[in-house]
Amino acid sequence: MKTHKQFNISASPFDPDVLSGLLWQLDIEGITENENSLSVYADEKSEVSVVQISDMLNSLKDQNMIASFSIDESSVEEKNWNEEWEKTIDVIEVNDKIVIKPTFRDYSPKPEQLVITIDPKMSFGTGEHETTKLVLNLLDKYIDKGISVLDVGSGTGVLSIAASLLGAEHVIGIDNDEWCLENGLENVELNKVNEKVEIKLAEIYDVDEEPFDLILANINKHILVDIADRIYQLTKNSGKAILSGLLIEDKTDITELYNSKGFSLVEEEILGEWVALVFQK
Amino acid sequence: MAKKISGYIKLQIPAGQANPSPPVGPALGQKGVNIMEFCKQFNAKTADKGGLKIPVVITVYADKSFTFITKTPPAAVLLMKTLNLDKGSSEPNKIKVAKVTRTQLQEIAETKMPDLNANDIDHAINMIAGTARSMGITVVD
Repeated sequence: MKTHKQFNISASPFDPDVLSGLLWQLDIEGITENENSLSVYADEKSEVSVVQISDMLNSLKDQNMIASFSIDESSVEEKNWNEEWEKTIDVIEVNDKIVIKPTFRDYSPKPEQLVITIDPKMSFGTGEHETTKLVLNLLDKYIDKGISVLDVGSGTGVLSIAASLLGAEHVIGIDNDEWCLENGLENVELNKVNEKVEIKLAEIYDVDEEPFDLILANINKHILVDIADRIYQLTKNSGKAILSGLLIEDKTDITELYNSKGFSLVEEEILGEWVALVFQK
Repeated sequence: MAKKISGYIKLQIPAGQANPSPPVGPALGQKGVNIMEFCKQFNAKTADKGGLKIPVVITVYADKSFTFITKTPPAAVLLMKTLNLDKGSSEPNKIKVAKVTRTQLQEIAETKMPDLNANDIDHAINMIAGTARSMGITVVD
């Protein structure tokens, strides 16, 4: 399992803004501000060391900006930090048709209801979040029997599994996170859709299949901007792309960009502060 | 009635790039907050800030729900952005890596003002100037 370097740094006087600002010059991942110290995290492959940090803090001392400091190094092994929250997940009735539940909750479905079992493991997509609900609400309308679907940023695999249960013939879910690969595969197994759903550890640029009838991407504006060209290439002519993870204020920029690539906006759905957009090629 | 607050979490992470790795995972996980939801919200709200390192203060409520506010980046981060620097000097007393003008310092001080412990703008400028010198950046008029 991946580990991260952790450095606990205290200094007197303690000014988190000055200390953290300097520490960001190093190859670090992020900082936790504690009462009287900072916890600084770096990738296990990062060159950051106690010596490097000491040099930096010594120069602050030379400038009389601090009087003294201490640094402790330890390591943190990656684990499912979301486990505590995951134990509290309840059954979610997304709409009249789709219900999502973890294995440890019981649910007696009404006729016509589809029950998807998702046990998340530090992956996104439990059906609770508006951005997932938006895509699930749109899926029923845009899935025709037998179509092919690409789910970009598949997380728990919830959208891939839903697409398959609603009638898609072949679904590929890709994610660049190893937790999502493992968790996506587990959930595909739980829902017995192995024959129709493939989950892969990949970036969208690694996908080498023929274009798809439908692309799903519940990510965020920044990434949806970056991959707009690739989404266009991977969508069949007359095929569609459902984009989510967007705030209502992102709509104009995304629509202008996707229109300029050759898509046209055919539908939008809003829930809370979020919007999902359906584009057709 | 206002929701009961169970605590605060203060982190600094790159805008638009929150993920469950440290510091986010361990800090939020131990308070029972849904890490994935925080990442989704944070990344959506900071997507336009292009990876700038930003402090975020998360308020955690007794029911495990949360809200958060983002603050202005540390002065050193803003200095590096303004001056297009990757890093400051390894020996700030001897090796100078860049120059910053009073006008640039004032712009940064104005950005930082809401989050600084400064009495007035001149005090704020002096604080930023101190950070600049500690990075081997010379202050010029």
